[in-house]
Amino acid sequence: MFIHIENMRFTYSLGMPFETEVLKDINLEIDKGEFVGLIGHTGCGKTTLIQHFNGLLTPTSGKIYVEGVDLNKKGVNLKLIRQKIGLVFQYPENQLFEETIYQEIAFGPKKLGLPEEKIEKRVREALKMVDLDYNFYVERSPFSLSGGEMRRVALASILSIRPKMLILDEPTANLDPQGRDNILSEIKKIHYNFGMTVVLVSHNMEKVAETVKRLLVMYRGEIIMDGTPQEIFERHANDLIKVGLGLPQVTECMHKLKAKGKDVYTGVLTVDDAEREVLKKMKKPLKR
Amino acid sequence: MKILRNISFGQYIPRDSLIHNLDPRIKILSCLAIIVSLFLITKFSGYLILGNFVLISIIISKVHPKFVFRGLRPILFIILFTLIIHLFMTEGKVIYQLGFLKITQEGLIKGLLISFRLFILILATSLLTLATSPISLTDGIERLLAIFKFIGVPAHEIAMMMTIALRFIPTLLEETEKIMKAQISRGADFESGNIFNRAKNLIPILIPLFVNAFRRADELAIAMEAKCYRGGEGRTHYRELKIKKADILTFTFTVIVTVMVSIMF
Repeated sequence: MFIHIENMRFTYSLGMPFETEVLKDINLEIDKGEFVGLIGHTGCGKTTLIQHFNGLLTPTSGKIYVEGVDLNKKGVNLKLIRQKIGLVFQYPENQLFEETIYQEIAFGPKKLGLPEEKIEKRVREALKMVDLDYNFYVERSPFSLSGGEMRRVALASILSIRPKMLILDEPTANLDPQGRDNILSEIKKIHYNFGMTVVLVSHNMEKVAETVKRLLVMYRGEIIMDGTPQEIFERHANDLIKVGLGLPQVTECMHKLKAKGKDVYTGVLTVDDAEREVLKKMKKPLKR
Repeated sequence: MKILRNISFGQYIPRDSLIHNLDPRIKILSCLAIIVSLFLITKFSGYLILGNFVLISIIISKVHPKFVFRGLRPILFIILFTLIIHLFMTEGKVIYQLGFLKITQEGLIKGLLISFRLFILILATSLLTLATSPISLTDGIERLLAIFKFIGVPAHEIAMMMTIALRFIPTLLEETEKIMKAQISRGADFESGNIFNRAKNLIPILIPLFVNAFRRADELAIAMEAKCYRGGEGRTHYRELKIKKADILTFTFTVIVTVMVSIMF
């Protein structure tokens, strides 16, 4: 088990007038090699939760273990934990600061104290993982890039630490559809080709649902659903709408068909799946 | 990251109290009167009266004293430092001696007086910012500065700059915290190393912070222009400040107290 959380609670500004309980009794396990989507309405505590994973925040009560190590125990080497868990913040392009993209991506490995030739290898590797050409990009300034490219460079600057687990907070926010698809397909590739454990955080069902293998739904500081996207969309459609999340358009379409009396499977995630399902249920197969 | 959590400066705590509802101009002027008399007083009894005056105001304001006293924390070092300097550096009757260090009676008195002075000063100004929303505070400053318009003081512009600055303090703090966290996640370390290394380690925070601040300033300027902002001339206020009976009474009382203690002590 990679991450194990028991009865974790977190309260912001404890003892201040603006005290708010953000996480209420979180219990969660994430295994190595999983591909998890964490969705929930804005302000439901998603970002707060993932900041506990690498020790940026300390729970008010409860326990959190990473590879069996209790993060709250005194003397825990948090640097080591942060090397294992790469956390990509929302709008990561806002954290770029170096003169060249090479230096930007080399920042993490350098802090690990690696020798120069190893650093270069890691920069090449990280740029390749996000589909940016090494020779074209290394000497350019990160501030001269487009928004989508900046985000990929920021992602590469985490990948160069070679984390075992990658957490991405709203990686597709503020990108155009093409940029969004690019980032998502890169994340998929990182998961499938490199076997990395990935947690994808989003408030948007669309696309994320068809990307991940397991879906966690958060609502007001609690995890209220946990299962495969198909299961959740099939069984909990009404609850999802109730907590303000809604369904992906195709799934909603299938639910409407079912409401009209057509006996279709409603746990579909993509238009292709929906087409197949509808064709299967038609009395006379269409001739193409 | 605890550094950023505990800044109480400029934090407004909304309550429904006499102090909160006073006209900001009255509050600023009363605060000024207290500060001036603090520097005129030379006896303990004077500080005792003024100190009690401020303490009673804190109680009336319904703001928890914890928050007011929190404002003292950052300057506690300065108070202690001046106290120690005065203790050991003043010539006079020696009351205690340790090697070449000697504490004199005059030093003790002078040091304590200055400590009290700073102490009450911070309490009074903290209460002012805690019990006055930033908007009405800058409103009050603008109206007060308007008196000096005839010598060319751009009152409205100054007030607008202050409003914007105050407005962006929390935003920038939040952003600093976010960038710090992001860089820590990338392997940055802000907590160890000597002072030069620590200063160097701040670069990954400062550059993104500045880049974002400039971008934000640019956007704000465009947004203001889009809303036809063109400075203070002919500009009216949504909330007009009006002097009420309570304001006159409070101000008169404050002036009487401060003038009395300044003259008598």
